[in-house]
Amino acid sequence: MSAIQATDLVRRFGEVEAVRGVSLEVAESEIYGFLGPNGAGKSTIVRILTTLLQPTSGSGSVLGHDVVKEPTTVRRLIGVALQEAGLDPKQTGRELLTLQGKLYGLKGKILTDQVAEVTELVGLADAIDRRIQTFSGGMKRRLDLASALLHRPRVLFLDEPTTGLDPLSRALIWDRIRELRERFGATIFLTTQYLEEADELADRVAIIDHGRIVRQGTPAALKAEVGADVIDVAVEEREVGAAREAITDLQTRGELPEGELRGTRAGYTLFVPDGPQNLAVLIRGLDKAGVRFGAVSVSRPTLDDVFLAATGGRMAAADADGESEDGQGQDREPAGSGRRAS
Amino acid sequence: MSAVAPDAGRVPGGRSGEPQTLAAPAGLISDILAITGRAIRGILREPELFIFALIIPVFFFVVQIGALGDVAEQQLGISNYATFQLPISILFAAASTSGGNALVLDIAGGYWDKLSLTPAHRSSLVIGNLFGEMFAVLGYSVVLLLFGFAIGVRFAANPVIGSLGLLALTLLFGIGFASVSIAVALATGSVRATQSTFIIFFPLLFLTPSALPRDLMTGWFEKAVSINPMTYVVEAARSFLFGYDGAVIAKGFLAAALFSALTFALTALAFRRRVRMG
Repeated sequence: MSAIQATDLVRRFGEVEAVRGVSLEVAESEIYGFLGPNGAGKSTIVRILTTLLQPTSGSGSVLGHDVVKEPTTVRRLIGVALQEAGLDPKQTGRELLTLQGKLYGLKGKILTDQVAEVTELVGLADAIDRRIQTFSGGMKRRLDLASALLHRPRVLFLDEPTTGLDPLSRALIWDRIRELRERFGATIFLTTQYLEEADELADRVAIIDHGRIVRQGTPAALKAEVGADVIDVAVEEREVGAAREAITDLQTRGELPEGELRGTRAGYTLFVPDGPQNLAVLIRGLDKAGVRFGAVSVSRPTLDDVFLAATGGRMAAADADGESEDGQGQDREPAGSGRRAS
Repeated sequence: MSAVAPDAGRVPGGRSGEPQTLAAPAGLISDILAITGRAIRGILREPELFIFALIIPVFFFVVQIGALGDVAEQQLGISNYATFQLPISILFAAASTSGGNALVLDIAGGYWDKLSLTPAHRSSLVIGNLFGEMFAVLGYSVVLLLFGFAIGVRFAANPVIGSLGLLALTLLFGIGFASVSIAVALATGSVRATQSTFIIFFPLLFLTPSALPRDLMTGWFEKAVSINPMTYVVEAARSFLFGYDGAVIAKGFLAAALFSALTFALTALAFRRRVRMG
């Protein structure tokens, strides 16, 4: 039996079709990364699979229990940390966890033990008796994660657990996610707009864009699909035409192989085999054509390149014109910032 | 609800022998108690709100007595105008609690979602909040009663029975007003809309014998007052202070119960809508 299953999920909000026929299957104890820019439909899918929202059509189930027909059973099996950690600021961390535990039917020693355990797990033991209004953003996320773990859920939904967090908090949450799977065999459904996060944690990744899954597979397999090295050239806007001309020129003359060329906001991305060798050709060609260029890099393909190849846009660019289903104006670093330069 | 064997309600995690979660059904009463406890904690943590909510009822109480007290006692034959006004002040406080405020903040802040993700009975999220508000209403009423005593309000008959009767009526009436506010909170999720529901209490509370007894009123005002169910609540509340008139008190409880049943039905509708819409 799969831990999570979705079949042809569709969700409309009035005229807007936020989710357009998503099917997926997650095995038990798998970490499944759900990757896409803001507004791609990630949060809507999470809300459907966690019983908060009903699908317009299609179905979903968790460990064989239908999310629409058996919501209470599903709620007992899952733990959820939503993107917006909605926590009551007037309670202390311990009060919040205790209340949460009671609503899951925990009581007595089990309840106190579990509160202590999850508090320790997320590293909040020192702060747990303070009011939540005094917590930093990272602490709130960790508390939210702790509350999602209280009843030892079999399936954990984490909706952008690290968005807006400092690198230290992010690393801690990554560690905990791995630990949860190792210790409890939990299945983890993780949405993220950070490519390196999906790359780092997920056994399998689905790339979602405009309400549809456009690619699905292990990070390695997806990157292999791109099948080439990636050369990025940054050019100024007024040089864009000249750069394109120079590159296609090199290709027609056979000096550069006929790789895929895509324009991005910052310049051009070229998918070619044997990147380092062709980089030299490219730079000479641009220089000869008098094109002024900025940063140039060659790298192995990343998930961002998979995203680019699949959708024709960079994550960061798609983010900028996304319909902002879940845009909250938090400080976000550009999604491509995790790219390795070479 | 809790009489079942500890494991009877456990969710089978699929086939037997598989690891299970620790979650078990807690039961509606346990859920309501947990949510009520949290609501009361929230109220106790913001005593300044409690004090603000008392300022206006106390202000009207004092001003009415100053403006009309002598006239009422000398010309209109009301034996003690402070006693005549105290129930108004208490009902006023009960009506202005804006019971949906805490709830709408939960909805806007995302905590409602968090609580909705637990297997708790969702109705407990609303009922627990309502009980929390009734705790606040009880608090306002007791403070105002004590204030009234301090400035010379006296019960014609047994003050303990009178106070308890008045508190019971006030709570029933308070549920009605809090339900309106909670219904708006659930239906709109808007903090501003929820805060503005207090407007309905102006017609409902001022088109009553709040300043004068009904037999001194004439014309359209008297007619409007007579068809306003709150009139009967006000008269019943007074009856607890001026000696008990069984028929008046019964009418008052009936009016308060009908009002609360109606507004609670609205809350139930708004609740179902929110649960369905997600």
